[in-house]
Amino acid sequence: MLTSFDRRMFLKAAGAFGASAMMPGFALAQTRTLVAATFPGTWSEAHREFLAPAFTKRTGARVTQSILLGTDQVSRLVAAKGGKPPFDVALFDAPQVLDAAKQGLIAEYPTAQSPNFADLLPGAQDKWGPQISMQIIGIGYNPKKIKTPPKSWEALWDPQYKGRVGLTALNSQLGIAFLAEINRLRGGTEDNFEPGFKALRELLPNVGAIGANLGAYATLWQQEQIDIAPYNFNFVQTLKSKDVPVELAIPDSGPVGWSTSMHLVANAEAPDLAVSYIDAHLDPGVQAAMLKPPYDVIPTNSKVPLEGAITLSVAKTYAELSKVRTFDWEKINPQRTALIEHFNRDVKI
Amino acid sequence: MEWRRLSLALPLAALFVVFFIAPLFVLLGVSLSTDMDTHTFTFAHYVKFFTDRFNYSILTDTLLLGLKATAVCFVFGYPVAWIAARARPGLQSILLLAVILPIMTSVVVRTFAWIVILGRQGLLNQIVLGLGLSEEPLRLLFTEWGVVIVLAQVQMPLMVLPILSILAKIDPNLADASRALGAGEWRTLWRVTLPLSVPGVIAGWILTYAACVTAFVTQSLIGGARLVYMPLHIYQQAVGANNWPFAAAISIIFMIAVLCVVAGLNLLAAKSQRHAQA
Repeated sequence: MLTSFDRRMFLKAAGAFGASAMMPGFALAQTRTLVAATFPGTWSEAHREFLAPAFTKRTGARVTQSILLGTDQVSRLVAAKGGKPPFDVALFDAPQVLDAAKQGLIAEYPTAQSPNFADLLPGAQDKWGPQISMQIIGIGYNPKKIKTPPKSWEALWDPQYKGRVGLTALNSQLGIAFLAEINRLRGGTEDNFEPGFKALRELLPNVGAIGANLGAYATLWQQEQIDIAPYNFNFVQTLKSKDVPVELAIPDSGPVGWSTSMHLVANAEAPDLAVSYIDAHLDPGVQAAMLKPPYDVIPTNSKVPLEGAITLSVAKTYAELSKVRTFDWEKINPQRTALIEHFNRDVKI
Repeated sequence: MEWRRLSLALPLAALFVVFFIAPLFVLLGVSLSTDMDTHTFTFAHYVKFFTDRFNYSILTDTLLLGLKATAVCFVFGYPVAWIAARARPGLQSILLLAVILPIMTSVVVRTFAWIVILGRQGLLNQIVLGLGLSEEPLRLLFTEWGVVIVLAQVQMPLMVLPILSILAKIDPNLADASRALGAGEWRTLWRVTLPLSVPGVIAGWILTYAACVTAFVTQSLIGGARLVYMPLHIYQQAVGANNWPFAAAISIIFMIAVLCVVAGLNLLAAKSQRHAQA
């Protein structure tokens, strides 16, 4: 008797399982769902708080976040090539856009279907997808330990900060950008990184810690393991909002940075929803809301007045913002492997 | 009838073939291709690994890190298992809970707790500075010894549990006999208990070792980017540099290297078993 009971139970369970497997199909017929990639941390929070509601309001569809770094998104899209992509909207930093476009991972952005696109700053109107923000790097420092804000990148080499300087590995965008800027200031070019690496080797006695990733890097600040280090404008704002003692100084050589952009993934399942989602991110209302602390996401829609922390330390106007120096990723990207290896060799204990 | 019994293992076998063996072959295939698109056969990635001392040193550092962490784990874990095996039932379950408790929290959480303890402003340094033992905060994070200490704690249950289960099975009469014949506690431990617990010790070593060398989270959070071990190296090549074939090649090499160490430990176990029976 027991065996037949077990078999019946098994059949019931299997039936229930099969039915539940069909349920998402029903749900989908009623409310459509878009899968959109976003970065970990504050980006995903800002998108959940402002972008998702705005998107649902205009389309009635829901959005599921796929939280991944830009480089991880590229890896996933490469792995899924030829099949169904794991998400329809990608969020990239400038270097990934080139890679993704070259590998056919993203589609050209249908500007005609995106009413807010025309209001973007001219530089933000990229054919592979609109730039939605800009990331700026400068010198992060702990104001409890360092009373006068550092004026130039050279401050990192100051012997008084022995063991107090932090760095991140080159697989982060911050790490590569810092190296490229130091390289430029020491007389190197995008074809010759030797001056930059020489400067890094000279910096090593001062370096107390190198974060393996940006999450570990934030911990270094929270635990006051480091006092001075290259850092992103947005990460500094986030940590400040959590009462971590950190400030950002823009060096006298000027702010440097890169754009962050949103893209329609090639062979997307719901391209109409994807474009609507991206367009919602270009909406002046959404961008103005994200510009407020603690997110301080730098806007790209010219209708949004610049205000808040960004105007205090980086740029007062869009004209000034457009002068922020960027990097030639076309030249840097192919060297990325070599640069990471070179860096690892130089810093390995 | 043999077939009927074996068929019970079929679901698991199928799961393994689909989700473990097949991906492993994909990994091997990728490691032998020039790039992700053309799939031309090449040994170049393996040659590149073995002709470069840098890669080589990462591999040896990782294998040595595993040995150090496993040794520390053993030195602290064996006494715990020994005490737990001989404790009264009530105390035993408390000790057992204390050993198992860490497994119930995520490795990330355990590792972050250690950052708070080992940091410049951390608990340990506050005690050291407070007692005047040192002028400067000690450097513990981002050192290899920091990684060893944290790995030893994080993976401790994997060492203690197998040893405990073997110790609990040893006939207590044997220890009594040893004492009756005039051996002290230490001599009994050294000549009777330890040799009899070798199978558990080897199982503990294998589990702890495999877990320590592959502990990406702990290695990268406590070691930082200056201490490059194989898991971080593979991650950087795959995701940071987008060089999947090379990442696949070093994954295969790493896997074989770890398997060799584990096989060596197994051999040791088999030898000591024969020795014990002889």
